[in-house]
Amino acid sequence: MDNKPWLVSLAYYLASSRKYQKIKDFFYNLLENSHYKYNKFFNIFMIIVVLVSVTSLVIDVQYDIPNWLNNFDLYFVTIVFIIEYILRIWVYSDIKKIIIEEYEERIFFGKKLSLVRLYIKIFKDKWSYVSSLPSIIDLLAILPSYRGLRALRVLILFRAFKMLRYTKSLTGFLDVLKRKKTELLTLFTLAGFFIFIAGIMLYVIEGNKNPHIHNLFDAFYWALVTISTVGYGDIVPVTPEGRAVSMLIIATGVGLIAFITSVIVSAFSERISSLREEKVFQDVSKKRHLTVLCGYGLLGRLIAKGLEKEKIDFIVLDIDEKMTALADNDGYYALNADATKSKIFEEIGLKDNIAHVLCMTSDDIQNAFIAVNVKSLNQNIVVTARCSDSDVAKKLAFVKVDHIIMPEDIAGKMGVVYAGEPAAFEVLLSIIEHKHKTQIDEIHITAESYFDGKSIKEIDFNSLRLIFLGVVKANKEMGDFGSFIFNPQKEYILHGGDKLVCIGYQTAIANVKRMV
Amino acid sequence: MQKNNIIIFGYETFGQYLYESLLDADYNIKIVSFDDKFTSKAKEQNIDIIKIDIKKDSDIQSLNIDEYHDLLYCAMPKTADNLFLVLTLRALYKDAIIIAMSNSHENTRKLRYAGASNIVDMYEATSRRVVNILTKPAVTKVLDEIVYKQNRLKMAEIKIPKNSPLVGRSIEDVDFKEMGIVLIAIIDEALDHKFSFTDHRINHRLDDNDTLVVVAMRDDLEIFKSNLQNV
Repeated sequence: MDNKPWLVSLAYYLASSRKYQKIKDFFYNLLENSHYKYNKFFNIFMIIVVLVSVTSLVIDVQYDIPNWLNNFDLYFVTIVFIIEYILRIWVYSDIKKIIIEEYEERIFFGKKLSLVRLYIKIFKDKWSYVSSLPSIIDLLAILPSYRGLRALRVLILFRAFKMLRYTKSLTGFLDVLKRKKTELLTLFTLAGFFIFIAGIMLYVIEGNKNPHIHNLFDAFYWALVTISTVGYGDIVPVTPEGRAVSMLIIATGVGLIAFITSVIVSAFSERISSLREEKVFQDVSKKRHLTVLCGYGLLGRLIAKGLEKEKIDFIVLDIDEKMTALADNDGYYALNADATKSKIFEEIGLKDNIAHVLCMTSDDIQNAFIAVNVKSLNQNIVVTARCSDSDVAKKLAFVKVDHIIMPEDIAGKMGVVYAGEPAAFEVLLSIIEHKHKTQIDEIHITAESYFDGKSIKEIDFNSLRLIFLGVVKANKEMGDFGSFIFNPQKEYILHGGDKLVCIGYQTAIANVKRMV
Repeated sequence: MQKNNIIIFGYETFGQYLYESLLDADYNIKIVSFDDKFTSKAKEQNIDIIKIDIKKDSDIQSLNIDEYHDLLYCAMPKTADNLFLVLTLRALYKDAIIIAMSNSHENTRKLRYAGASNIVDMYEATSRRVVNILTKPAVTKVLDEIVYKQNRLKMAEIKIPKNSPLVGRSIEDVDFKEMGIVLIAIIDEALDHKFSFTDHRINHRLDDNDTLVVVAMRDDLEIFKSNLQNV
């Protein structure tokens, strides 16, 4: 065992160290993971640092800046940048994994580990990061700190570029352009070709007649200014042949610019919905105990309103784009997605984000499909499904859907109440639909609160202005069904965890809730 | 309780659920449909369905509706049909009790304007229930027992008969709790016909013909009722 090279031993040591992994994870999250809560603060901090340094360097061009600011820029900013640069190289990939893999592979084949080969492999791996555009910008942004060479000041530009890293909206813009790489590349090549031809032509025609054209560069400069329709007018063709060339490239220039603009705009309109979606994902992924409402039809909309009122975090999923747009307009988180597929739930975060899923589309089979999908992914998610057919209800019960809601049944049962008792129906409707300010509510008794250990007799519900219906017991041993005790005896003792069910005026209920 | 006729217009899902629930409560039920689609299901269940044409007043009149005793449930699958039906029924029978099904606030308003005496907003009730499941599990359980399961607990209204021992006493003086009764609301005949919750803000004096709205176990309710009568 001892003949392992020290590099391999170190790799094994680090791989087994939980602390090392924890630290590395922390820095990875801080630098790269936009869902990490401190990532935002880090980004804001870096933007401020960049702004301060750019400002001080710009002021330095014409005026003297105070010594402390110069020092701040020279030492603090540079050190921050260098540390960030090194950290990013570090967290980019896992060297120890490469080492261990290489070592084990060699052992397996009974060959000797070649350190040179290993170093090359490691270098290649890190180089793929160092040679990437963001990394080059990072490196160049460090350089302006070197005061010896004034030309390096130009590289301030890269400090400004560096800000791209820290703002999601700006990187989104670059992403959009990246998607249209081929189109843009073609257009820019075409433009370059025109500039090249026109520049050479003007140089050949007017190189010795035009006093402003001294060399080929001047001619190219003129061609670019003209084709872009900017037209400074510092260099103008003086011969009819030169003007003819101008006319040609002006005509092509107008077309080219329109073309490029339309490509960029179309790229954006294609991406705009997915950018919005990303924003929704980002916001939602921070929530815990999220409720997912599938279906934004008549019922879905009413439920959304109710959830909003109760301040429950929820997201609307609908397969119909129009419905999603409607939910979005109503100010809710909404995604256009197929809830019968596991992908969307995985993206939202199955394990600890979603607490409830409400299957409320108007189609029984769809609801069953969604319910099965969710339950098969994670049994702990509470699923409430709507259905109209009692045969479907049996199937939902079979897949262990927690709550089955049948709107027609509910309405039917209420209709029955009316048949015998119209006045009772009025009262019931008023309580259920919150028509008046009197409502039915539950009061959770916390341990060691005012109510804990008191008997019903001791609590004067009359003076609290409440109609007391009963208690839902805390312990589940008695079974879920039997645990509601209607109108308990006066000697009944309340305990922490019990829930009182009362009817009363809003303020009266709020008052009691404050007491417990 | 007098045994009224109940007429259900429309035998789509809601009509079916209503019918099944009403069967237990023992009423004379007539089902009227305009659509062949659901009549076959009714035939399977051995239910006679009267088929009529919604547009013909004579067809509806042939049902011999007693406007003072019959309960009319309008549960047509299409909102437009339902609205038209309510309108027709109200024009023919001024005093009939018409209960209409609705699926939105908007339709509720229209149905009310067309003359429905009461409206069950299916989705409103459902959405409340869904939200309650999430936020108020205890309330859900209680409402389940009172409304949806209807086996142990019952919500009922009781008219106080003349010469009842309750007449002349104030609510606070009567120990309803001891009788297993939870009094929720009262309709005071002397004041107006609207109900008010008995959440102890006002102390009512009970008169004959006042209506009490209570929640109680079925057995306790029967005892309470008979006690009111037997003086």
